[in-house]
Parts: sequence; C-alpha cells; structure tokens
Amino acid sequence: MSNHVTEWLNAYLDDELKGGRLHQVQSHLAECQECQAELKSLQSLSSLLRDGPVPEFISSERFVAQVSLRLPHKQPVLKKRSALEVGWWLIPVGLLILWVFINTSALVSRVAATANEFGLLRAAPAWLVVDSSQGASWSETLGEFGLLNGNSLEWAEFTETFTRNKLPLIIWQASIAMLYLSWIAILWARHTPPQQGQFLKS
Amino acid sequence: MGPIYVHIITKAINGKEYRTVVIVFEINEAEIVIKAQGGDRNAFNELVRIHAQGVLNVIFRMCGNMQLAEDAAQEAFIRAWLHLGSFRVDREASLRNWLYRIALNTATDMLRKEKRILPGQLDDFYLPDPRLSPEGVYLQSEQTALVQAAISSLPDASRAVLVLKEYGELSYREIAEALDIPIGTVMSRLNYARRLLKEKLEAQMIVLKEAEHV
Repeated sequence: MSNHVTEWLNAYLDDELKGGRLHQVQSHLAECQECQAELKSLQSLSSLLRDGPVPEFISSERFVAQVSLRLPHKQPVLKKRSALEVGWWLIPVGLLILWVFINTSALVSRVAATANEFGLLRAAPAWLVVDSSQGASWSETLGEFGLLNGNSLEWAEFTETFTRNKLPLIIWQASIAMLYLSWIAILWARHTPPQQGQFLKS
Repeated sequence: MGPIYVHIITKAINGKEYRTVVIVFEINEAEIVIKAQGGDRNAFNELVRIHAQGVLNVIFRMCGNMQLAEDAAQEAFIRAWLHLGSFRVDREASLRNWLYRIALNTATDMLRKEKRILPGQLDDFYLPDPRLSPEGVYLQSEQTALVQAAISSLPDASRAVLVLKEYGELSYREIAEALDIPIGTVMSRLNYARRLLKEKLEAQMIVLKEAEHV
C-alpha cells in the first residue's frame, strides 16, 4: 500500500480532521495494516501519558493563599490605547477625507471653469478656475513652428490636456485606493493580535 | 456569579431511597476577569482558584519538578495579575489559554535560569493506585519517572505543544492561539514530539501496548 497517511494520524487520533482528509485517512486505514499499527502505537502512547498516576499537587486553597501573599499591591492598570493605535485607526478616516476633498475640489473647479466660460464668474479668484486654455500650450507652440499639424496636432493637444488636467486626479485617486487596500490587507494580517508574554517560538 | 442550577439525584440503596441535592453555580468568568482588571484582589484569587490545578499540571509536565512547578505557577499568576489589563475579555480567547501561555513561558524562563530538570524522586509526589501490589506500585512509579524524564528531554517548543495537548487538553486551534503559532506548526511539532517520545520510551524498554479502546 502506497501513499501512507502517517503524517495525518496524529490529527486523526486527536479528532482534528474533517471532510475529505478525514475520509481519506479512514479509507486508507481500512486497508493499510501498517498505518493501523502506527495508529495503535500512537493511541498507546497517548494512553500511557494520560492514564498515569496523577501528581499530588498543593491544594488550590493553599496555593491561592500563597499567591495572594506574593501578589503586589499595585493594581493592574487597564492598558490605554496608545497614540500609535489611535493613529492606526485614523488612517482610513484620513484617506477617505482626502479622497472627498480631492473630488470636491475637482468638482468645484470644473463648475467654476464652466461658469467662467459663460462669463458668470468675472471676479472669481485665479486659483479656483482651471484655465483650460493653458491645457495644451506645448502642443500649440509646436504647431506654431509647424512641427505638428492636422490630426497629429489634435492628438498631441488632447494628450497634453489629458495629462495636465485629468492624469493628476487619476493618480491621486489610485494612490488613495492603493493605500486604503494596503491598510485593509495589514488589518487582515493582524487579525489575531499578539498577547502578553514571551513566545515559545523556535 | 451566574445562574444557579439545582439537580436532585435519587438513588435506591438496599431498598431505601436516597436523594442527593447538587447545586451548580455557573461561574461567569468574564465578569470575574473584569472585576480583577479593576484591581479586585478577591476576584483575582477566584481566578487563581479556578485555574490553579490546570496551570500546576501543565508546568509540572513541562519541567518535571514539583517544587519548581509550584514556584513557576506562583510566578505565572503574579505575571498574570500584573498584565491582566492586556487581556481582552471581549475576544474569543479564553483566560485558560492565556494563562497556559504565561505558565509555559514562566516555566521555560525558570528552567533556563535554574538549569535543572529533576525528574527523580517523582514517586514522592504521585498518588499510587491503591489496587496495585507493592511491586506494582514500584513498577508504576519507575514507569512514571521514565515517562516524565522522556517528556522533559524533548525540545522546549515541541514539549510545550505536547503538554498542552496531552495534559492541558487543548484543541489544535487553542494551542495555536496560546503559543501564537500556526496550526500547521502545532501539527508538525506534535508529530515530532510524539515520534521522539515513542523512540525514547521504546529505548527504555517501555512497551507501548495496544490501547484498550481500539
């Protein structure tokens, strides 16, 4: 019999297998004497460990008294949330606020630009209005020198306008989305927070 | 203190009917923990009372020495008192697993400091089976000492997993949580510990008989 299930026998013995793996081990055990013997040997080992005589420990009452005598008078202080932890939870809020701010700014700017085109905002401050006429200045310059003309000039103007006006907004939004997703990924990875004490890792 | 249950057990012995009244207090551990976190020493003593034997057993199996186990268990509970504020009652993690984790780390620290694993004279601490003959008691104590010596000789990390499984009776998930390691690591360490233990015990001529419940 090949494909022994030796590595799963401990988990099977401890009743920790489920579904397909459990079925696989059960089916294999029904046919393989070698694995049956290994399982019996593991069961015997477990019985030897568990069924041995019970140590006679100090009584709980006496133990409580001893611990109580050694207990420091200092009261345990509930751990306050550190600034780092508060900052961690503020990250997504900050990102959302930034996203709303950028989109609102772009929207207001576009509305102001449209209003400006129709002459409704004569006294609007310069920073509020995106000057779309400056959107393709390099392409226009190249056109004036005759280096670009016809379709190529139109294409260059469109590309330059897009790069100047739309691309920064897209890059900002993509960056915010990436940071937000990274935050969620880290949160998921930290799902089980560490507990007190040193760790038996080796 | 949680709800109280009353069970009445009726038994007929020699034609007479005897009734035993059993009163069960369901302890709400979370409430006690919150009180202890607020500095209530009596509440903490109650937690010590609940978990003392379990912690003592786990530490004893880890270090194989009764005196060291008592010292380490006391130290573990003092550490628990000092850091109880960091235990999150709202999480699913049980206090028992948290205490076992502190207990194992305390035992490991003390073993490193003391550099002693003294599985000898274990028979002084065990209650012999009253059904056994003097020879049987002797053989049993010899076997117990050999088993404990074999456990004590395992590497720290594998020993901790074996002790939590066999004596702490924790599931793989609980062991993983208590030691902060993945479940796959729990499985591999347990496989390793049992394989090593089998080899050591077989080398000591302890025959692993077929389990009765097979």
